[in-house]
Order: sequence, then structure tokens, then C-alpha cells
Amino acid sequence: MKNLLVLFASSLLFISCQSSSETKPLNLDDYTWKDIKAEGQAQEMTMMMWKGDPKINVYMQEYIKPKLLKKHNIDLTIVDGQGNYIVQMLMAELQAGANTSEIDLMWINGETFYQLRQIDALFGPWTSKLPNASNIDFENPFIGKDFQQAIDGYEMPWGNVQMTLIYNQDKIQQPPQTRAELLSFVKEHPGKFTWNNHFTGLTFMKALLMDIAGGAEVLKGEFNEDLYAKYSDELWIYLNQLKPYLWRQGEVFPENVAQMHQLFANGELLFTMSNNDAEVDNKVEEGLFKKSSRAYVPEFGSIQNSHYLGISKLSKKKLSAMLVVNELISEENQLEKMKPSVWGDGTVLQVSKLDSVFQKKFNSIAQRHYAPPREDIQKKALPELAPEYMIRLAEDFKKNLID
Amino acid sequence: MISIKQIISWKTALFILMLLPMMLGLGYGLLYSFGVIGLLNTGFTTEHWSDVLLNFNFWKSLLFSFGIGLISVGISLVIALWMVVNWHHDLRKGKLSTLIYLPLAFPATVVGFFIFQSFSKTGFWSRLLYQTGVISEIEDFPSLVNDAYGIGIILASTFIITPFLSLILKGIFENEDVTRFQHIAKSLGASQRQVLVKITLPILLQKAKTSLLLFLIFVIGSYEIPLLLGRQNPKMITVAIVDKAQRFNLDDIPQAYAMAIVYVLFLLFLFFGFQRLAKLKTKAYA
Repeated sequence: MKNLLVLFASSLLFISCQSSSETKPLNLDDYTWKDIKAEGQAQEMTMMMWKGDPKINVYMQEYIKPKLLKKHNIDLTIVDGQGNYIVQMLMAELQAGANTSEIDLMWINGETFYQLRQIDALFGPWTSKLPNASNIDFENPFIGKDFQQAIDGYEMPWGNVQMTLIYNQDKIQQPPQTRAELLSFVKEHPGKFTWNNHFTGLTFMKALLMDIAGGAEVLKGEFNEDLYAKYSDELWIYLNQLKPYLWRQGEVFPENVAQMHQLFANGELLFTMSNNDAEVDNKVEEGLFKKSSRAYVPEFGSIQNSHYLGISKLSKKKLSAMLVVNELISEENQLEKMKPSVWGDGTVLQVSKLDSVFQKKFNSIAQRHYAPPREDIQKKALPELAPEYMIRLAEDFKKNLID
Repeated sequence: MISIKQIISWKTALFILMLLPMMLGLGYGLLYSFGVIGLLNTGFTTEHWSDVLLNFNFWKSLLFSFGIGLISVGISLVIALWMVVNWHHDLRKGKLSTLIYLPLAFPATVVGFFIFQSFSKTGFWSRLLYQTGVISEIEDFPSLVNDAYGIGIILASTFIITPFLSLILKGIFENEDVTRFQHIAKSLGASQRQVLVKITLPILLQKAKTSLLLFLIFVIGSYEIPLLLGRQNPKMITVAIVDKAQRFNLDDIPQAYAMAIVYVLFLLFLFFGFQRLAKLKTKAYA
């Protein structure tokens, strides 16, 4: 026992002896774009992103990567990881007092942005340095604000998507449009509806919360405890009305969207959901969903949000990362990314700012077959709420529905 | 010449080398859970510990894991004992001796997936029963995965540990020359039942008890299987800890560390408590 105590004490000593080495911060004021180009080129760098979609991987590996190599001699390595994985990793690096980061560039969304800003793991502000940033539609609240937070130059918008519900039009002629219709639909078809226990499901619940509150305006801005308490109470009442008629009587919720897609594909569910309005086209093309599958946004609306690119604070290749981001938001690469056959990701560029050739190209992109046109669902788009709403919803959902 | 003293010091050094990383981890976790270190922590607090210790769901998870472990090891033990006692000849050579190794080749994730595919409501068995008309609706198939009682987890864990346990019992059976004892007992007039209850089982169980404890700890500590086959409530302790550490709220991370420490203490208690109990029993026999 004594030995154990000694061991323990020495281990504590070891921990407290960590050195926190500070590297000289990079000051972007000293650099013109020309300097950035000169210093950033001919480097190897690492980007971390979600690699769960084969189409997105092809776009990055076979379209973007060779381009970067040719144009800037940048060798981009893409590694798999998203959300809390990135947060954990950068957190560990900061806690260990590392002086460089494993990740230079990363693909993030609002909740990760919030967490990374919380732990001060992002480099910035840097976005205004990029020439192509002038085409970004920062005025658009769905792009210029991330989960109600000002971007402040710490991340660059990359794409924009809207959540949709997906159903099979052979089985359902009139999908439910309101909360009341959804309730009666679920009652008529018990065991055929659910949402997942993660990001997408929470996004769905946020839309319901906004509907209950009487519109997106009510919950706008910073987190408000009183408003949350008031409207979330109603939300739990509503969801508990649904609960007995949900898949598995609402005692279990799918862990992820992939599982929900699978359940939808084999007929166990009548609806699945996607945070990317174009995903239904991808999945039909892959053969997972039947051709009669359709995506729609109910009258009560769905959340539209953007996804972003951030540079890690400890990265040694910040300038290269900026070069890469400048490419990723170029007209040409945004156009390619938006094609339904490639990825189907909405652009963050303000198309009216572009020259007439690109305007024409953007406006004549092949239409999606199974997803509704963007202009139609734009009217029902809801903005993201402050990140605390999601944190609270995730906790209270567990308390009020699962436990 | 190496003296005995030097040998001991080598042993100690090795011991420290093995324990140090673990102790470092625990020390780190302890400091983190008390708010002393950590990016978002602001200073010493017992808040995270009281949050954890007063949380009903935490204790429920711990007990749930323990229960799942006991049941899985129990079922495996019965199957393995039965096989070794009845089939010890076949287990030595022939088809069965190879077949028994087969589940050893499956990683936990694969077993989890395989159980999911076979026993979910739209899985193999459900479809088979539906096609043959035993159940009239696919929905009528009982919930065997993601269920409230952890049936899926138990199925998968049993599938994984039964072969290991059989091999261990088979080894004991051969090493201890149980057949010879059986013959002696029989020639002295013991009945089949007496041979089993008084000779075979006591020898096997006495020798296998530490292995059984390790299997119990193995099941309690498994992660992929409960993640895939369990559900959000009740949740096995491993999944609950990772959930706390990696979900949306970064302020929950100290709680995750506190939970992990209680979990380690629980296992240590289990292990040393068992050892002590075993010692007392052996003494009583002697």
C-alpha cells in the first residue's frame, strides 16, 4: 500500500511538471496575399473531415487534391474525424502543451465551432485575407452566422444545407405538414416514425421547439433560460404524446442517421431524415433508397445551416491551410461541389456577385430529382439556435423521454 | 553473481514500469475530476463528484453492467461445463475440437453486428419466422437487441467468452486428471450424480474461479457490444462514461473522469474482495 502511495505521488509530480511552451503567434498583418502564397505553397498538410460519404470523399480525393498539388504543390492528406473527436484531440494537444497540431485544417459545424472557441483552439481571425472571400455571402444570416454566433473570421463558410424529411411517395401520398398532422399520422402508423439520438434528431427537435415558440424570431440570439424552460416544457408534452406510437414505443432511438436510413430502406420506418437536402438523391443513386423516395420540408420548417472550415491554433501550416481554403471557396470548386451528381452541397457564394459566366453556370446546374428545389424549401428555412439550446435539448431529451 | 536482492529490485522496477502509466492516468483523472487541471476547469471543486455520486443513473449503469456480466459469465459457465463434462473426448480431437475455436476468430464488433443482423426485428430470425408464418407481423418478433434487459449484449458476450471458458475448463480437466478421480470415485461406489457434484464440478470450479472473475471484468468493461446492442437507458457503464466525455457539453468531462475512477475502484474492490474471500475459503478447507 505504501508503495502504491509513493507511486501515486510521483505520478502527480510528473503531471505537474509539464512545460507549457508557447510558440510565437503568427501575425497576419505582416503578410500580403502574395506572401501567403509564397510561403504556403509546397507543403504537406493534414485536413480532418467526416469521411462517411463516398461521394464527398471522391470530390476531395480525386478532384480537389490533384488540383492543389498542381496549382500550389500542396500535398493534402485527408484524415477521418469530426465533431467531438476533433474537440477531444485539440483539447488533448492544448492540455499537453504541444507546440504543433496533428491537424491543420478541419471541417466543422456550429456546435464544434462553439466548443473549439470555448477551449480557444482555433486560429483567427484569418478569413478576410483570402481573395475569394469577397464572393462569400456573409450578409446571409444562414451563412454569416453559425448557431447565432458571430464567425469573427475564425472559420470560413464552405457549404450550406437544409434538413429534410425523407419518405416514400408510393406509401405516403400526403406527408404530414404540421405538428398536429404529424401526431395524427404517427398515431395512425404506430412504430413507423422516430428520430435519431444525435445531431440530426436534435436538429429536428429544435425545429419543433421553434414552431412551438411561434417562430424563429422568438428564440433568436443568445440562450435564454426562461424562454427555453417555457417552450421546452411544451415540447416534452408533445413528444411524450408521440412516444407510445414511435418506433420501439419510443424506448429506443437510433444511434445515428445511417441506422435510420437502413430502417427506412428495409421498411421498418416510414420516414428518415437528413441534414443535407441533397442526400436523398445520393442515396437513391447508390441504390439504398427506392426511386419513389422523396425529401420534403414540412410547413413548420426545418433548420438550414452552413458548414465551415477552421484552422487549428497550433498548426504549423496555417498559411498553406489558407491557400487550400481559398481554393475550396473558388467559383469553380463550389460549382463542382454543388452538382447533385458530385455532392449536391449548396454554395456559400453570393451568386449575383459573380461574373455572368459563372452566374449562368450556377443557375443552370442540373436539377435534383428526388429533393425539392432549393428555392422552395428556402421559404421554410429556420436559422440555427444558440448552441446551448442543443446541449440542453440533448440532456433534457434523455431525462424527459428516455429515462 | 546476481544476488537475491537484485532480483527483487528488478521485479520492483518492472512492476513500477507496468503500473506507472496506469497510476499517471488515474492521477490525471483524479485531478481533472476535482477541477485542478483541465482546459475549462477553474479550480478545486467537489461539485463534479457530488454530481456523479448523487446521480441515480450512474449507479444504475454500474449495477446494470455488473448484472449483465454475471448473467453472461453464468450462462457461458453452464454451457462450457456441460460441454467439457460430456464431450471431453470430442473436444480433444475431431471436428468439435476445431469448431470450438471458431468464435475466437470474431472480433467483438463483428459479433455485435452479427447478433444485430440475426436478432433484430428485421433480422434473419424475425424474417424466417415471418416467412414460415410463425409470427403474423414482423413487428411481433420480440425485442432482443437494444432491449431493456440487455439480452442482445448477453447473447454477444456469451458467444465470445464461451469458447475461451471451454478451453480453460478443458485444460483443467486434462491437467488435473479428472477422469482418474472419476474412475476412483466410481469404483468406490459413487453414483453418476455424486461423481459430478462431489468430484468433477468442485475441481473445475475451484481451479477456474480466477478466470471466471476475469471474464466478469471483461464483460463489464466491454464497449463496442453494448454500444451496438444496448440502448440509451439502461446504459452500460462504459458507454455512459464515453457519452459523458464526448457529448456536446464540455463541462461534463470532469464528471466522466469521476465516473471512470469510481468504475476502476469498483473493479479493484471486486478483484481484491474476491481474492480475500477465496483465501478465507481455502483456509477453511485446510
